[in-house]
Amino acid sequence: MSDQLSGALRAPDPALGARQALVRRRRGSGGRVYAAARWMAAGLFAALLVSLVVVMANDASQAFGRSGIGFIWSGTWNPAANEYGAGILVVGTIVTTAVAMLLVIPVGLGAAAFLAEFAPRWLAGAFSAAVDLLAAIPSIVVGLWGLIVLSPLFAGDVEPFLGAVPVVEWFFHGPAYGPSVLLASVVLAVMTLPTMVALSRTALRGVPLADREAALALGATRWQVVRKVVIPGARSGVAAAITLAIGRALGESIAVAMVIGNNPSIPHSLLAPGATLGSAIINQFAEASPGLGASSIVALAVVLLALTVAVNLGGQALLRANATRRALRGVESK
Amino acid sequence: MSRRVGIPLGMTFVCLLTVACSTAGAAVAGRAQSGLAASARPAPGGVLSTETDVTTTKAVTLNGAGANSIEPFFQRVFYDYNKLDPLTTVTYSPAGSSVGITDIEQNTVNFGDSEVPMAATDLALETAGPILQIPVDLGGVAISYNIPGIGKQRLKLDGPTLAGIFDGTITNWDDAAIAQASGITDLPDLRIVPVHRADSSGPGYDLDQYLIDTAPAWVSAIGTSTPSKTWPLAKVGVGEQLNTGVATYISQTRGAIGYIEYAYAYESHFTNVALKNADGAFVVPTERSIALAGANATALTPFDFNVVNEPGTGTYPLANFSWTLAYRQQPNLAEGIALGKLLYWVVTKGQRAAAALGYAPLPANVQRLSILDIERLENSAGKKIFAS
Amino acid sequence: MNRFRVAVAVGGADSVLVGDDERRVLGRSRAFVQDAARRSLWRRRLAGRAGRLACALALVVGLAPLVAELAYTTARGVRGISFGFFVHAPTPPGIPGGGISTAIVGTAQIIGLALAVAVPVGLCAALFLYERPGRLATGLRFSADVLAGVPSIVIGIFAYALVVRGLHHFSDLAASFAIAVLMVPIMIRANEEAMRTVPVDLWEAGVALGARRSRVARSVVVRSAVPGLVSGNLLAVARGVGETAPLLFTVAAPTAAMTLLIFSEGTEALPAAQETAWATAFVLLAFVFALSVTSRVVAWGLTRRAR
Repeated sequence: MSDQLSGALRAPDPALGARQALVRRRRGSGGRVYAAARWMAAGLFAALLVSLVVVMANDASQAFGRSGIGFIWSGTWNPAANEYGAGILVVGTIVTTAVAMLLVIPVGLGAAAFLAEFAPRWLAGAFSAAVDLLAAIPSIVVGLWGLIVLSPLFAGDVEPFLGAVPVVEWFFHGPAYGPSVLLASVVLAVMTLPTMVALSRTALRGVPLADREAALALGATRWQVVRKVVIPGARSGVAAAITLAIGRALGESIAVAMVIGNNPSIPHSLLAPGATLGSAIINQFAEASPGLGASSIVALAVVLLALTVAVNLGGQALLRANATRRALRGVESK
Repeated sequence: MSRRVGIPLGMTFVCLLTVACSTAGAAVAGRAQSGLAASARPAPGGVLSTETDVTTTKAVTLNGAGANSIEPFFQRVFYDYNKLDPLTTVTYSPAGSSVGITDIEQNTVNFGDSEVPMAATDLALETAGPILQIPVDLGGVAISYNIPGIGKQRLKLDGPTLAGIFDGTITNWDDAAIAQASGITDLPDLRIVPVHRADSSGPGYDLDQYLIDTAPAWVSAIGTSTPSKTWPLAKVGVGEQLNTGVATYISQTRGAIGYIEYAYAYESHFTNVALKNADGAFVVPTERSIALAGANATALTPFDFNVVNEPGTGTYPLANFSWTLAYRQQPNLAEGIALGKLLYWVVTKGQRAAAALGYAPLPANVQRLSILDIERLENSAGKKIFAS
Repeated sequence: MNRFRVAVAVGGADSVLVGDDERRVLGRSRAFVQDAARRSLWRRRLAGRAGRLACALALVVGLAPLVAELAYTTARGVRGISFGFFVHAPTPPGIPGGGISTAIVGTAQIIGLALAVAVPVGLCAALFLYERPGRLATGLRFSADVLAGVPSIVIGIFAYALVVRGLHHFSDLAASFAIAVLMVPIMIRANEEAMRTVPVDLWEAGVALGARRSRVARSVVVRSAVPGLVSGNLLAVARGVGETAPLLFTVAAPTAAMTLLIFSEGTEALPAAQETAWATAFVLLAFVFALSVTSRVVAWGLTRRAR
């Protein structure tokens, strides 16, 4: 660049030289290669997205062609009898995710409130770093721990205990085998919690300082500030956090596959083994007969994809709405 | 300045270096070196017939897939064979018999393995000529259980009681039916957890056959008298993947009972049921009792291979052969030679490892059958590779 | 603005001051309200302490299982670690002296190849988003966000359908493809965030001086954004190393990667296999943690130095 500049300086008309240099550079290979690289990367990415949908839809077409859209809710999954229907697996997925969320939402929100509001700065920073690190634990390791440590614990102590508690025992009746919908939900909750804590903390911290100070000025205690001002004020951010956590929980399959017991039937109790979309894909993949079997596995993946994308889109929309609302409120309180 | 610019460059460099180093490391560590091509090596244990030039000169990797039950045996013999003939590396993917059958049909592997020979419908799907089915192994199906507190007493069961356990009519270990069949009266008040294979399996097929043969209640419970590779009553009890899944579950759960390949029960030191055989004796699975079952297989063919519930006082009623599947025509001559020599060694010298692992050595007549099958391997021109 | 009206707007109810009693504040005298607030203070303080305790408890209860899991993995995994563990290939059960060298090498190969593809694509795509705002870029950014949320099992099935079926056999290439597809959206997002921290005036100044776009990108944007770029990419690598589901559908042998080895050995009842699984899990965990910690340290350290 310096020689081009000095070339421009030496020329009688600096502007002319610079203009010529600019034209030369525009036509030169450097700029073009770079522009090409950028376009190619973007194009590659777009092609990837398109091929994801196309290839999977193509492979799943045999299964969908056989049962139509009813594949998604049709009842039995029985490869031996050549019956492939995702209905039970979708129910299993929803049940495990719902129970996991029941555990994650209060605990995650409470933990996030503690980190955002009550903990001293150094503690909050340290714990946030710890939460991020814990979120990075590979799911296979958590699944192994759930299988080897939690499963006997649940079979021996927790599940019989729950079956004896008077009111809730209806959910927990039946023999306690260990691998069960309950265990899978707990493992899911354990894995999704760091995400929920991190996202909720961001949402809670996004509540404008002015609102908090106003409440404090009115004589509210810090706890009242959190309950009455911060949490309601962060509603949409927290909703976005919950939705994104649900999206993560839906996609978690390897840990669930190891602890859910792999029984594709409607669970009559939380202690019964069950199956989810992800666990069925993992456990049945190797076995699937070519043709309809393999196509059905891909169809399950398509259903899971649609479910996850829908939930994630909802979460993103909520996030964007939250950002807009915060911006608008910021304008108002000035 | 240079540090900040260097970091992204450095990252890319480290990635490429990792790939390069690991590839080099892999080449040095376990793979064969083609530098040995000059020295021709004969088949370990001798050649198949007298005048052949079937020495290995190239490094060959053979890929196989199939039954989970034979994996301990295959793992060991392939390791030992690689020590003797470093030019041949064998990988085996123990994903299940049906995977082995599918893969060999689609010709994506050099050999498959199945506990149940291929049915006519499977054979019709072969894509590269006829498939040879070669018996390589004799194993048994153990019924393992986990009942704490009964000390040294061995659980004895017969067909109808076992059927009652697996179809859910007997639910507790202190049930009178079990006490009567087994003669043990102080079984604990513990819920029975029957475990079956969630995937299709040879052991399941054999147990199904045994229960069909010995328990009329089982036949009416499952509605058919043909055994099936997929466990017919999947709603009862817990389903686990592969022998390893069942074994892990049994070891962790009190009150569990399930069927697994004897080799897995052997290496995990499980306690196994003494099953009632056709002569009325209660026999536990051991190398001896399984070998006796195999000795009864006088006219073994892929269409008449049943050694379940064979007569004899010491015979274990749940034994089965494992069948290696390969295409008769081997278009890649080097691979065909390597495969033939490998299988020959496995059915002859390799059987020495069987007993230590929980299998029984192949009976002599079956071994002869296997060798005859291996000699039928041909090259792409239709000429036998190991012609005599 | 009237204090009471602010209270209504902020608290959403007119009982902010006096706890949960439905005492209406509007229309009452100031003295009344202050008196009520003073009298209810001890109740509110108690509720506050209980609430804070509950939240702290939630934090502990929430993180305890994962911490317990870490402790267990370390305790059980360290036992199996030795020099031979890293260097020797796996041996069949009953033969001592086995290790996991093939798994480590396999993981390194798969991740290395995936990175060689993903890092340039992620960087160039992020530069595209940075330099060419517009509808195309918005669409691309949106797609990256969507793809980042796709579960790894779906991406594994995609790699199976495209590469394994296309080539008619399982391969490390398919696995690298799957991991690369997994990493690229994360990298694009992280890279773009990092670049956005660079003030746009710097970029404009570079272009105004007549420098080529690539030169500006290289010397100005990337150089200033290096902390964020490096930390984002390291996090993506940490994610890629820990994935199991994509490998299950693209690679045949369980000894080809660490995560697969953990899956296959961990589900075996044999004690030796279990110890191998836990030791491998420990190694994997240590590696992922090292990457995450390095990523944070790099971001923090280099940002400080930049200032």
